Amino acid sequence: MSATTASPLAGHGLHGPAKDARVARQLSVRRARRDRVVRILCVVATVIGLIFLASILATLLWRGLGGLSLTVFTTSTLPPGSNGGLLNAIIGSLIQTLLGAVIGTPIGLLVGTYLAEYSRGSALGNAIRFVSDVLLSAPSILIGLFIYQLMVAPFGGFSGIAGCVALAVIVIPIVVRTTEDMLRLIPVSLREAAVALGTPQWKVIVMICYRAAKDGIVTGILLAVARVAGETAPLLFTSLGNLNWSLSLTKPMASLPVTIYQYAGSAFEDWVQLAWVGALLITVGVLAINIIARVALRGGK
Amino acid sequence: MSVTTEQTASFGGVQARAATAMNAPRIAIRNLDFYYGSNRALKSINLDFPDRQVTGMIGPSGCGKSTLLRVLNRMYDLYPGQRATGEVMMDGTNLIDPGIDLNMLRARIGMVFQKPTPFPMTIYENIAFGVKLHEKLSRSAMDERVEWSLTRAALWGEVKDRLHSSAMGLSGGQQQRLCIARTIAVRPEVILFDEPTSALDPISTLKIEELIDELKHEFTIAIVTHNMQQAARCADQVAFFYLGEMVEVAPAAQIFTAPREKRTQEYVTGRFG
Amino acid sequence: MSEASQHVVKSYDQELKRLRDMMTEMGGIVENQVALAAEAIMHRDSAAATRAVEDDPKVDALERDIEQFVIRLLALRQPMAGDLRQIVAALKMTGDLERIGDYAANVAKRSIVLGQFNLPYSLAGLAHMAHLVQQQLKSIIDAVGESDPEKAIEVWRSDQVVDDIYNAIFRELITYMMEDPRNITPCTHLLFIAKNLERIGDHATNIAETVYYAVTGEVLPETRPKGDTSAYAVVRPKA
Repeated sequence: MSATTASPLAGHGLHGPAKDARVARQLSVRRARRDRVVRILCVVATVIGLIFLASILATLLWRGLGGLSLTVFTTSTLPPGSNGGLLNAIIGSLIQTLLGAVIGTPIGLLVGTYLAEYSRGSALGNAIRFVSDVLLSAPSILIGLFIYQLMVAPFGGFSGIAGCVALAVIVIPIVVRTTEDMLRLIPVSLREAAVALGTPQWKVIVMICYRAAKDGIVTGILLAVARVAGETAPLLFTSLGNLNWSLSLTKPMASLPVTIYQYAGSAFEDWVQLAWVGALLITVGVLAINIIARVALRGGK
Repeated sequence: MSVTTEQTASFGGVQARAATAMNAPRIAIRNLDFYYGSNRALKSINLDFPDRQVTGMIGPSGCGKSTLLRVLNRMYDLYPGQRATGEVMMDGTNLIDPGIDLNMLRARIGMVFQKPTPFPMTIYENIAFGVKLHEKLSRSAMDERVEWSLTRAALWGEVKDRLHSSAMGLSGGQQQRLCIARTIAVRPEVILFDEPTSALDPISTLKIEELIDELKHEFTIAIVTHNMQQAARCADQVAFFYLGEMVEVAPAAQIFTAPREKRTQEYVTGRFG
Repeated sequence: MSEASQHVVKSYDQELKRLRDMMTEMGGIVENQVALAAEAIMHRDSAAATRAVEDDPKVDALERDIEQFVIRLLALRQPMAGDLRQIVAALKMTGDLERIGDYAANVAKRSIVLGQFNLPYSLAGLAHMAHLVQQQLKSIIDAVGESDPEKAIEVWRSDQVVDDIYNAIFRELITYMMEDPRNITPCTHLLFIAKNLERIGDHATNIAETVYYAVTGEVLPETRPKGDTSAYAVVRPKA
């Protein structure tokens, strides 16, 4: 059977407006040149950034590894020349970081949930989001001062718990932001599917949304922990630092960053050495948390 | 001599008489208007959904067919600024009455969506999740319910050995059947399908259509689809929507062979725009 | 069956137009065949008869082409509503037209045989019938071309007259045969010619029903004018 029909384009000319091949080639060459220039600039910028990072790491390793020994982990800070360690600072840092995260995470989680699930488009929600973003970028020394006014000055003394709260205040906006972002990433269709089964809203959030956003939220929390683990400024006005062994939350408490701050500027060589070791420990710790976070995030996808 | 070769059969007559008889309405919509803010998205809709039959809804994008589906299970309540007026009667109650218990309503009127939406949990938990919301079942009764609904959704054979692995590992077609199983597990009376196969390959699509054909013996079904052939294959009656109005509703055979309205004719023959 | 608006896919429109053109062509050939056959009987024109017979293979070939084309359209375009009715109608009508062509060829062949006999009686009734059937065929082919359901109904109704004439001729010819056995051969041929013309009328009626449904989507009532009562006719020799 010969049932072919004429193409609708036949007669109108299939070619359309003419194209100048020479101009096209010139434009293409110019584009390629520009592309190359931009690429070189990007590579140079990256290399510069990496050089700084590498030199920091190299210096840390070079100066820090030398002083690393078992006594660093078994002995508290001692007067210069008496072969002291960093035990009280390490434990203090762990306590304050963990407690800070434990206090800050639930608050951040709930605020983030409120922003993502309950306050869509409301003025209150927008205000909270704005405040949270401001807090996210506020200088951490201000947060230290704020807690000083709130928890140190009225009670007449620096305390570990004040340090924890200061760190928690830093944790909150980070967790708020990641929780909200992650919950917002959940497709509307998933939420609607749960609602369509007759699921009450709180159950949708707890049983469906948190599960779906779990990886992202956990990553956010780990990044917040990494961030506060290295904070010095808020602790200076709150937990102050303590050269003696103390686990009391109502007394001043040692921490790695503050110890580094105190030792690095001292005139004693073994203290300076311990400061380098402390810096190395924090860096490795933060790096480890970051890597765990990345791996967790990738595993979720 | 006698008259032998009689060729009097008129093909139209055969079709007209074969048209499906419609059951009594399960849901009856009267003078339904729907607003997105001040935009009137549905205009005085009158439509019956016959009991244990399939009602197909077709029309160009934005014609209001999906909106109508989302009125039936009050999905629009999730979004401020959306409201409906009129009557959507089911068993003597108006479903768009603000006093209705929405979770109970949604247990009676289930919905399957365009994209498969398995919950981030195991296959078993996906089914059990909805059931637990409305019933207290023993462990063994729950096992039975899961098997029943997966069997009805033609998925049991494929997943019975991995009920406790994640539902995310299923193929698109399997995920969609899981969503259907999840919906029928709560034993609804009506099931709404919102373009259930638009993300699936042709064979998975046919499996879903076969499923709809099976399910209509027990459930009243409404299906929104962009695929006219699908509406022709699945539906007992078809409603054509255009610009927020319901232009025509008739048995599927009539809509696709001899629609009464010019706009329907133009749409189903591909003469739109 | 033309539509005011166009399909989104323009090549579909062109294919439907091609189908209409093929139908018109086939209708034209068949109409001409019937005209030639009528000419052959009335004027004992054996050249016309030969031409009518020779056209038959052309009609058969066109019927096959249309069938193939319709199947292709059904498979590839999945037509709906008006398009579906038009395309399936073409399939049905092409069958009717092919049968009409066959009957016309048969009439033409018999006219050649008749040429060998001296007919002692008038062919006026048959001529009238042939004229009416030709009119019917022309009207219905126009109705197909113009998608005119009114015209189709007219044809559908007019078949009654043809049937009445056929019944009259039937009785008349039997009478002749009873009068003189030598009349049996020519009269039998004439009987078949009359029957064939009557069948052409029936097929024209079929086409009318098909056109009416294709255009309007509605079905004509079951009881169509079907007036061939010759099946029950008894003519007894005068005592």
